[in-house]
Amino acid sequence: MSKHSALNTFGRSGNPAFTKNFDSTGAIPQSERMTLDGAVNKTAILLALCFGGAFIGWNFPALTLPGLIIGTILAFVTIFRNPSKAGATAPFYAGFEGIALGGITVFAEMQYPGIGIQAIGLTFGILASLLFCYKSGIIKPTENFRLMIFSATMGIALLYLISFIMSFFGSGIGFIHSNGLFGIGFSLFVVGIAALNLVLDFDFIEEGAEQGLPKYMEWYGAFSLMVTLVWLYIEILRLLMKLRSR
Amino acid sequence: MNAIFFSLLAIFSLFIFLNLGKVKASKKQMDRDDRIKWGKRRKTIFRNSRDGSKIIEGKAEEINTDSRE
Repeated sequence: MSKHSALNTFGRSGNPAFTKNFDSTGAIPQSERMTLDGAVNKTAILLALCFGGAFIGWNFPALTLPGLIIGTILAFVTIFRNPSKAGATAPFYAGFEGIALGGITVFAEMQYPGIGIQAIGLTFGILASLLFCYKSGIIKPTENFRLMIFSATMGIALLYLISFIMSFFGSGIGFIHSNGLFGIGFSLFVVGIAALNLVLDFDFIEEGAEQGLPKYMEWYGAFSLMVTLVWLYIEILRLLMKLRSR
Repeated sequence: MNAIFFSLLAIFSLFIFLNLGKVKASKKQMDRDDRIKWGKRRKTIFRNSRDGSKIIEGKAEEINTDSRE
């Protein structure tokens, strides 16, 4: 019998949930820990799959809606299921979301030629510049920063949801889609919030690698970065469309 | 011209991301007291989901039965 009464009463736990905590790295071998290299490489794989999907969506725009629906379902599955399954769902998410983005870009290109490459350039430009700002310590995310970004993101999501529901009744929140100054200002605000979400993703990956989380968290970090990039791309595309329609 | 500029911007930015992403953040960023504690949040969620179970918070101490006797 052990001298520790808690061990005698409950036994030594084999619950994997305990090993998911940030502090419990003692039992994880060095080769099984999350690294920055791994997270960046997995993000590159997801981006490649997204571009592959976009090629399909570009050539078969009819697949846009199915791609969007399946991609969204896969995103929710990845978020709400065990993060250890992210390696299985994130690549499919990237592929299907790529199909949707390819189709959306075709529709935008038909109206405003050259808008797609502008949105891609700006999205990656923001990604690189914010990564530089984060790594160099110019932007320092804190708990208050996270609270602010989380609240703003939830507010935007709620506004979009209300607008979506209102659209079924032939109504809507006009300024969201208008190309007036208020509409463009709103789009700029949303682009800003989406961009600042990238900083939270960088911080999550950086701390995960520092704490030596399990290897599968590399996929989870890459997936969260991918979700933010997809959102940022769509918002930049919307902003550019508003500007070009004036 | 426009397309070339934005294509180059995208390629250059991707190159920066793939290289800079693998570099550890500066000490100015990492050695701060007000960093986001991602782990703390997870543990709180875990603890809340186990309400009612026999979780005793506080410093762990070894119970020595010999000393009682």
